[in-house]
Amino acid sequence: MKNAQWALYHVARLALALVFVYAGAVKMQDVVTFAGHVAAYQILPYALNYLVAATLPYIEFLAGLMLLLNVRVRPALVAVCGMTLVFMAALVSVLARGLEIDCGCFDPGGGQDVTAAAALLRDIGLVALMMLVWWLRSRITVRDADPPG
Amino acid sequence: MFDDLKRIGLEACVLIAFGALFGLALHHQLVLDAFAGRLVAEQRPGQGEPASTALPMPVLIDEVQQTLAAGGLIVDARGPELYAMGHIDGAVSLPLVDIDNQLPGFLGRAAKDQVIITYCSGFGCPDSFDLGVRLIESGYRDVRVFEGGYPEWRDAGLPVAEGAR
Repeated sequence: MKNAQWALYHVARLALALVFVYAGAVKMQDVVTFAGHVAAYQILPYALNYLVAATLPYIEFLAGLMLLLNVRVRPALVAVCGMTLVFMAALVSVLARGLEIDCGCFDPGGGQDVTAAAALLRDIGLVALMMLVWWLRSRITVRDADPPG
Repeated sequence: MFDDLKRIGLEACVLIAFGALFGLALHHQLVLDAFAGRLVAEQRPGQGEPASTALPMPVLIDEVQQTLAAGGLIVDARGPELYAMGHIDGAVSLPLVDIDNQLPGFLGRAAKDQVIITYCSGFGCPDSFDLGVRLIESGYRDVRVFEGGYPEWRDAGLPVAEGAR
């Protein structure tokens, strides 16, 4: 049982890590286009879209990297969870206003991204995954000698 | 337990700050330009050497207002559906997607020495720039691009209109 939890923890952690490393890395490639996607949400004043576009991919990437390397896992979880909740709030606002925009979650150039409703569902799944990793982490570290965090 | 959560929260903030700083270190020029309103159209590959006379110059929102007031022509490069949903009051529709069909009619209506400002759906939307290039190729001498486009205009609370042309 403990072994199963241990395995599940690492699988879930790696899955989460890859999502955010990929999301960050792919958006870093074209920050200007990503700024256009952020602007399409029509939430921020125009220049702030660029500030978000210049910083968000790197925060996603860094948090994903820490999950991947299994260091400071819980702070990284807090960071990705916070970001995902902000994304969800933005998507809800898009749905409420009836905007038909590309979610801009991943590939800025691909144009194969999903609608706001589908992105919202995906984000709910991600938050569930984060809670799972957090819970398994605390179960495992009670046993282990390695420092929490 | 509480101390533990506080430490985790603090470390999360440090993580976010590091990521943000790293991004800013790489893109500070872009962000500064955005805040100063200095963004210009990106030179896209395959267009060869930029001849300064052959590319439309970017303008800011106040110049669009002045041009409109002075009788200049504001041209909406987006598709007809978006134009009907809302456009800059006084703008004429010239969708880039249908340019080959619509350009002859446009050429008949607008004089070659008229000031023309194109726009589309804001930053990241290349249509206004591409339309500007087409208009210059068609002989228009003073073509400019309002890159903030319809979103910036609308969000600034300036007059908009709905409906087809």
